[in-house]
Amino acid sequence: MADWAFEREEMDKHSSALVAPLKIQKSPKRSRASIFGHSRQSSRGSHSIRSQSQSQISPPLTPKTSTEAMAQQLPPQSVFHNYLRAFYHYNPTSTVSSSTDESSITVAIKQGDVILVHSVHPNGWADGTLLASGARGWLPTNYCEPYDHPAVRNLLNALTHLWDLVRDGENGDLLAFVKQDYVRGMIAGIRFFLERTDCLSRDSRLIVAHIGLRRMRKGLLGDLSSLVKTAKKLQETLQTNDAQVPVYEYMDDLVLKSFKLVTRAVRFLDIWATDAVSLSSFELGDASAERPLTPPSDPAVQPLASPNRLDGDTAPANDSELHVTQRPFSMHGDTASTQPPRNLNRLSVAFSLPSEPDSLQSPILLSHPPSQSKRLSVTHRLSYTGKSQSTRTGNLASERLVTSQDAFLGFIGSFIGLHLQSRSSEELAYITQQSVIACRQLLTVVEEVWERDARRSNELEEARDTMYTRLTELVQATKDMFSDADADIDGELVAPESGKQLVAAATSCVRSAGECAAKARIVIERIGDFEFEVTGLGVSLADAILEQLPEFDHDEEEQVQELKQVETTMETDKPLPATPIEEREAPPPLVISESKPLPEVPQPSPLLESQRMSLQPTPATVIVESPTAVSFRSSRSSVPLLNTIPTPTLSQPAPAELLESPVSVTQGVFSKSAKTDSVNASVADTSSTFHFSMRDTGSVVSHTSTRATTPDHSPSKSRSSQTLVSSFGSCSELRSLASEDLAAGEEHMLETTYVHELVYNKEGQISGGSLPALVEQLTTYETTPDAVFVTTFYLTFRLFTTPVELAQCLIDRFDYIGDSQIIGVPVRLRVYNVFKGWLESHWSSESDSAALGIILSFATGKLLAVMPSAGKRLAELTSKVTEVRAGALVPRLVSSIGKTGISNTVFTPADSNVPASIISKSQLSALRSSKEGKSHCSILDFDPLELARQFTIIESGLFCSIQPEELLALEWTRKSDSKAVNVKAMSTLSTDLANLVADTILHLEDAKKRAAIIKQWVKIAAKCLELNNYDSLMAIICSLNSSMVMRLKRTWELVSAKTKTRLEELKTITDVGRNYAVLRQRLQNHIAPCIPFVGIYLTDLTFIDVGNGTTRQLPGESGQNSVSVINYDKHMKTAKIIGQLQSFQVPYRLAAIPEMQDWMDTQIQRVRSSDQANVQAYYRRSLILEPRDPQHSTRGSPSIDQGTFTAESRTNSKDKFEFLNFNFSTSNLRGS
Amino acid sequence: MSQREYHIVVLGSGGVGKSCLTAQFVQNVWIESYDPTIEDSYRKAIDVDGRHVMLEILDTAGTEQFTAMRELYMKTGQGFLLVFSITSQSSFYELAELREQIRRIKEDDNVPMVLIGNKSDLEDDRAIPRPRAFAISREWNIPYFETSARRRANVDEAFVDLCRQIIMKDQANRRRVQPDPRPGPRGGGRKHPRKHRSRPKCTIL
Repeated sequence: MADWAFEREEMDKHSSALVAPLKIQKSPKRSRASIFGHSRQSSRGSHSIRSQSQSQISPPLTPKTSTEAMAQQLPPQSVFHNYLRAFYHYNPTSTVSSSTDESSITVAIKQGDVILVHSVHPNGWADGTLLASGARGWLPTNYCEPYDHPAVRNLLNALTHLWDLVRDGENGDLLAFVKQDYVRGMIAGIRFFLERTDCLSRDSRLIVAHIGLRRMRKGLLGDLSSLVKTAKKLQETLQTNDAQVPVYEYMDDLVLKSFKLVTRAVRFLDIWATDAVSLSSFELGDASAERPLTPPSDPAVQPLASPNRLDGDTAPANDSELHVTQRPFSMHGDTASTQPPRNLNRLSVAFSLPSEPDSLQSPILLSHPPSQSKRLSVTHRLSYTGKSQSTRTGNLASERLVTSQDAFLGFIGSFIGLHLQSRSSEELAYITQQSVIACRQLLTVVEEVWERDARRSNELEEARDTMYTRLTELVQATKDMFSDADADIDGELVAPESGKQLVAAATSCVRSAGECAAKARIVIERIGDFEFEVTGLGVSLADAILEQLPEFDHDEEEQVQELKQVETTMETDKPLPATPIEEREAPPPLVISESKPLPEVPQPSPLLESQRMSLQPTPATVIVESPTAVSFRSSRSSVPLLNTIPTPTLSQPAPAELLESPVSVTQGVFSKSAKTDSVNASVADTSSTFHFSMRDTGSVVSHTSTRATTPDHSPSKSRSSQTLVSSFGSCSELRSLASEDLAAGEEHMLETTYVHELVYNKEGQISGGSLPALVEQLTTYETTPDAVFVTTFYLTFRLFTTPVELAQCLIDRFDYIGDSQIIGVPVRLRVYNVFKGWLESHWSSESDSAALGIILSFATGKLLAVMPSAGKRLAELTSKVTEVRAGALVPRLVSSIGKTGISNTVFTPADSNVPASIISKSQLSALRSSKEGKSHCSILDFDPLELARQFTIIESGLFCSIQPEELLALEWTRKSDSKAVNVKAMSTLSTDLANLVADTILHLEDAKKRAAIIKQWVKIAAKCLELNNYDSLMAIICSLNSSMVMRLKRTWELVSAKTKTRLEELKTITDVGRNYAVLRQRLQNHIAPCIPFVGIYLTDLTFIDVGNGTTRQLPGESGQNSVSVINYDKHMKTAKIIGQLQSFQVPYRLAAIPEMQDWMDTQIQRVRSSDQANVQAYYRRSLILEPRDPQHSTRGSPSIDQGTFTAESRTNSKDKFEFLNFNFSTSNLRGS
Repeated sequence: MSQREYHIVVLGSGGVGKSCLTAQFVQNVWIESYDPTIEDSYRKAIDVDGRHVMLEILDTAGTEQFTAMRELYMKTGQGFLLVFSITSQSSFYELAELREQIRRIKEDDNVPMVLIGNKSDLEDDRAIPRPRAFAISREWNIPYFETSARRRANVDEAFVDLCRQIIMKDQANRRRVQPDPRPGPRGGGRKHPRKHRSRPKCTIL
């Protein structure tokens, strides 16, 4: 009962915590947690994930004036969502006065924050933990929407599981951490996530094409490996039984790392949802379109593929914004992924912009000849980037650094790539130009970092100078090349050979850029990340390109010259303004929260009107600023540089027009967007909010992420440059080579796995899973599979799969794991071992022979090819199995304790330790003569102990022969063709013994004799108990306790008090009450040999079979796309019961007396064959022996006493017949 | 009022779905993992007519072949669920013997009992027509329920009805044990101890 309640509580936690969740969930846990909290106070340090929760029992006041309205606006929630995502920022201090109250700690949430929800109070406040910071507190649910994107769902579930484990771990239950299964869930979650997003392989199209995703993916894997490391450390610490203190630190670390991982995955998904899918559509279009100049790495071009996209999108964005505000709990992530090309909805737009650096790389679009339609799209693009630009005012230096480096690498990569194919000099020149511009951008960032650094890092300066030099070299090389080929300009192809020098220069340039970026990053880490004040960089870049664009098809030399000048001017200009020139914008979130009366922004439409009014000023400033910023900033930061460059081509008409157009058109678009709706603005605004949140958590997420990726950049880049030169891959290859050191880890992390199809129970045991997932557990490579798991699998697999299916699944496992040394080989060996164990010890020729062909062909085919000796051995086994028709080849050891297959072992008296038989020669001869029918023996003639021994030997023979198959799937209850021969024989023997007891008592006329027999049986029963033979004990007691014996009052009066007391004791042991509590208790402490009452196991097995489903749902997969997997828990339970039974299957060391057993058998056969061997017959006999007391007749059935059936009108015909029969037999007996 | 504990025994031949019936009743919700080996596996507290009672259910499922054990089980019970499967003739006929055995052991003609035709969801395979089962229930003067353990239909109702019978019987016994000046409480009173018994229910899905 208590257990159910507990289970239910566990369920409530996730399913129905809406109703007074705080009490349900917290009260027991909290108290325990607080105990630990005290002891851990010293060790836990500053980042306390849960310590806050102890102080906040009641949620704060609703940040609304009336709570009723709040309750009303909350949509009826049927499902408890484990994760929420804020779609609006919420700052507790500015809105809730009560937040100063210590009892209610509210946390600030920023748009885009993902929150792990612990409970939701009916008033709409949720107790949650921000994944980004680990801060826990109350937060308003109406600012959030459920976050449950199918792609991350597995990961989120894994995190929930981990969280639960850690919380249990806080209460001292560290069992789960000894194994690493919980981390495997996270790994599988990531894997599943990458699989769903098509980013699993490093070479997948998306990853190759999208710098942002590539970086995120790398960061994700870095985070994951760091998490795994922490888990390993924790495991080691636990195994070495160190002090508890570091354990909790590791656990905190574990949680934080998991949070980080999930946060990153969510960001990944945001980018993916926005860009990836449209990218793929672009790429499809790209194949047909002639745009050879476009480096494959730039997704920024994608909007060009559909020029109307932004036009179309701004409106849907508005719509979806409205839509979302009305239904804050609708699922947008889903729609974004299922129909991504059209649905660039609020979620994806708002969330993706800040973390999407590639939108910066607009220069590419300028590669197109300035036609009218293209320019239109250009403006769209600009408005798009411009918008994002405006939101990027709060850029972090580190992010900027990465962005610019990526951009540079992208161009230089295509630069190198271009040299290998024959390209027109025009293109080459253009790309060179782009590379130089990108490089300059990178340098600008580096410059800024250097400026910021109080110590003026020498290393960075050196690296920067090196890069300048390299860049100069590169430009010089290009220049040389062109001067060589000067004679034939205009569309002339540049021979690849001639570009070697250029490539070398470019490669060294890449190397120095990597070094430079790495150094810069070190500096950033030292001085702390800062907001990048040289704003509008991307736009200025765009401008710069626009300005330079016209040049490229004119004077190459001049252009290169110019670029050189750019560099020099940069050097002269070096000390860039460190302090912001423009007045710093107030952080938008604050502006908003101040400008509007209450933070009920994400509320339904009626409010939206007024809200829009209040909102408008804010976005207006942002928006109005952005178009101007385009010009202002460019004029301030980059234009000064450009100003020094002589730009003779500017006067050319077409480019001039182009030069003008961006600003004007952009303005047009902006004003339009500002006019049409404020939502555009709010998109921009909110995304900047999000960005601020990222900065806040920068130390946790983005900062460390750069740290994680840092090592890959510089060293491996130089290492890979060699290969780069020869392979001349695109920049993506360059990047992929750069992450070489991660490759080994990736192999481990991203092996094909079905771990996400596993379900674990509270104890960390596998309670469910799909067949491939279970097979995977059977063949793990890092740890030996759990013995109980393997035993269960062999024992029960025929219940949830077919032998053919299993064989196929094992072969699949063999195939998909590959042949790598670290993973493939050990796993393949395990696959072989599983086959071997199956054939050797668990083969059931009847059912398994169908799989034999598959196994044989596997053994002689795939296995033989990889592991010749294993293949041979398996092939041998298959033939052996066919030869041995029955039974296993090797005596199996099904449970770790007990064994089966031992037939009735007979010990001769000569054996040592075997107690001597208590039987005299005269007794033996009496038994012999009785066999010939010469004399008659009674149980009274023999020693009760010896009788008990012989019964036990017979019983034990049957019991030890019980095969596990007999106990599966209610086999023993089958009425025909049951394979459970031994179980059936046991129940028959039990019944026979009971009948024998009744018979020996009831066949005697003399009450005194009957009393003597009863006494003897009680003695025998007591001896059976001494021998731990509960089955015989039950049978005897049942019979003595039966109504036909118990009602013999005169007989019992003659039974001694001592015997009666003894019988009472035995009765308490065989009590069926409280689910055989006494019997179960005794069995727990027994060691073999022992014959338990098999009935208990049979009942248990029946209820396990009936009370547990065959499948279970994967957690979190509620709804239509729920996945049901094998309920392995059921089979584990079944195997546990069978294992218990088997643990007792040990033969007794007792000497058999064949004569006595023969006599017993004869007696049993006699009873069985007599038509009297049924309860009714015995009862009638009992009635004859001691007829009902007339005084008691009224208590009994009156009809029997009166001998008539008329009195009992309710008696049916069968009864009537029986009564007649009874009367008849009575008179018969009396007559005789 | 202190919580009373009553013992209910579920009887019927193998394969009629007894265990399913019990498991369904004992589990309020279909819990993830059902462990029948613990002491509380078959205990359930319910409210019957405002009375809080604890039921302990003894289900012989799986041990039908241990016929000798049957009496042991029956002895412990105060109320009995006689379960047959509407798809099996034999399971229906075997109940008569079980009922006789109960009456004999209890030495009582009015042992609280409920007749249950399980597997009502398998209407297509019905072997026992409803009127037939109903006729027997009238003959035995016990209520008849058609249940579907699989669909959890009528399960609670059957148990609650049985429980009600036990409570009434219990109260009647108490009155009798107490010194009662009224003459012959056994005679007339026991003929129809439960009024609703004269009107056996036929509760159908």
